[in-house]
Amino acid sequence: MAALTATAPARPRKLLASRKTRVGILYALPVVVYLLVLFVYPIFTTLFLSLKNADGSLTLHWYAEALTGVNLSVLITTLRISAETALLSLVFGFLLANAISRLKPLWAALAMLIVVVPHFISALVRTYGWIILLGDKGLVNETLGAMSVPGAPFRLLYNELGVVIGTTSMMLPYTVLLLYGVMRGVDRRLLAAASSMGAGRVTIFRRIYLPLVAPGLASAGLLSFILSLGYYITPALMGGPNQTMIATLINQQVTKENQWNGAAAQGVILLLLTFAGLLLVKLVSSLGASRKKRSAS
Amino acid sequence: MAEFDVVTPSVTVAGGTLPTATGKALSVVALRKTYGDVVAVDEASMEIAAGEFVTFLGASGSGKTTTLMMIAGFCEPDSGTITVGDRDVTKLAPQKRNLGFVFQQYLLFPHMTVSENVAFPLTLRGVPKDEIRRRVGETLEIAGLSGFGNRKPRELSGGQQQRVALCRALVYRPPVILMDEPLGALDKKLRDQLQVEIKAIQQELGLTVIYVTHDQEEALVMSDRIAVMRNGLIEQFDTPRELFERPRTPFVADFLGAANFLPGRIEQHTDEHTLVRLDASGGLIKARRHQLASGTPVKAAVQPGRLRACAPDDGFCTGTVETATYVGTLVRAGVRIDGGDAPLLRLEVPAGRGPVTGERIGITADPDDVNLFAVEQGG
Repeated sequence: MAALTATAPARPRKLLASRKTRVGILYALPVVVYLLVLFVYPIFTTLFLSLKNADGSLTLHWYAEALTGVNLSVLITTLRISAETALLSLVFGFLLANAISRLKPLWAALAMLIVVVPHFISALVRTYGWIILLGDKGLVNETLGAMSVPGAPFRLLYNELGVVIGTTSMMLPYTVLLLYGVMRGVDRRLLAAASSMGAGRVTIFRRIYLPLVAPGLASAGLLSFILSLGYYITPALMGGPNQTMIATLINQQVTKENQWNGAAAQGVILLLLTFAGLLLVKLVSSLGASRKKRSAS
Repeated sequence: MAEFDVVTPSVTVAGGTLPTATGKALSVVALRKTYGDVVAVDEASMEIAAGEFVTFLGASGSGKTTTLMMIAGFCEPDSGTITVGDRDVTKLAPQKRNLGFVFQQYLLFPHMTVSENVAFPLTLRGVPKDEIRRRVGETLEIAGLSGFGNRKPRELSGGQQQRVALCRALVYRPPVILMDEPLGALDKKLRDQLQVEIKAIQQELGLTVIYVTHDQEEALVMSDRIAVMRNGLIEQFDTPRELFERPRTPFVADFLGAANFLPGRIEQHTDEHTLVRLDASGGLIKARRHQLASGTPVKAAVQPGRLRACAPDDGFCTGTVETATYVGTLVRAGVRIDGGDAPLLRLEVPAGRGPVTGERIGITADPDDVNLFAVEQGG
């Protein structure tokens, strides 16, 4: 025992470290297994499926098909509707979050509840709610008609407008939540400081407030864009044939045409688009930072 | 933006022309602010000359910060007027007052570099780029921050951040710079250092500064004049020396000088002095002349450092030293006065000949160091 303790100094630490590592692996195991089974395996299966020919050989045929003709126009429609949705939910989310962040804490909490609670209702129910509201004989058109607004009733359903109204309302809680968090974190006294130096409201908004909430805007916009890319129920129910989005197409291929390979290719494209979106935001923000650094020096 | 062009003087920060330090920079007339039933500021009036360093000194709730906020425009007075130079700014928004403000929490813009922070007020005023660069550089140099221009505020220490905030407030040469406890968040050593630095910059550039603090020492070190505030009222607005030696109210005597108060009655007046019979010891104390009639109850205020020990029965009272604390160059003693249950008389004497515990000493003071105050009803 005495000899052991004498030579011990370096070894117990090593032992401790490796034991720590082993315990760490043990803790991480459930997550690793979870990710392997439910994330890595399905993704690789999908990838494999998208590259497999009918006879089992590798091919890019499904990708070529996904990027031509009707499929390509569906992809472009998806990107366009997602961008419109991201932009609109960002604008409305900004206005809402900005208003809420100025309220007293109690009122702000209540307002957040009103924004978030509808989100707990099934998207299907909410979409049907919109359909009832926006139909030719719906509340909106009836009201506009009663006010004899020229042009009423408007076509608010089964076109791109309908889809964008629907998806925007679905994305709004996300953008409001994200932006509200960022806005609450802005020290209002910074705005007072700017005004003490002579900055007016517009300048303060443009040069102090907006840059401070910009990271929130980027992530909120990206989030609603990505979520819209794969959104299914609302576009399917509130859009017409020209508003078919990629998720609807994938669903059709799997359930109606039993065409798994094509669906897999489109799924992979969707995934890549999402990655591209993430990369873009990262790029833009780092570009902004480096430009700032250059202008300062 | 046009209003800025009119009021921005075309001065350079260092080595150029400075605004002549004459005339009044700011005046406040009968400023009043209430919150519900609470009077935060009660009819405050004062005139501040250009180039002056004025401090609002008081405990929290004294109205000093509220007064500053009203001058800055962050808080609207119920009544009264605020004039900067010749311009009535009472109703103007903060951004139209062209004042500088240094906050306790620095409040630097976190997304801008140090240079951009300091340049911000200049860009608002449409100053050409080259001149902005020059003035920012000069101002940072004055504050000892050359080479820090490209850093972000979070990369600086608290003291450095506050220096940047100071630069940002003075780079556009506002006629008055307001400072709200700017050193409150810093530790003692740094605070002492920055007090000297701020004072030096103020004097070098001839800045007019209104400074808010609750720290008496800070006020004494930095100020040309101090407004001692309590319960929304300006108790006294004077030079540090006047406040210290000629306090006009017992509060000022206590707050700045930590004076001993000795109750008594006026016995008689001479040409230069007033004699007061002390209640506790029955001894006579000679004080600065006061116009109150004989027999009036008064309090004689003497600061601990202005009391002197002498042989027993030679002074206005005699007592026993109960505590004696050695504090470097001084000994602080507490003396129990004979014949009364008055609180211990606090005494500060040079350490060399300090009294020791249990010693019986007489106590005396120069009549000019003894100020008399009428005893308020019930007080």
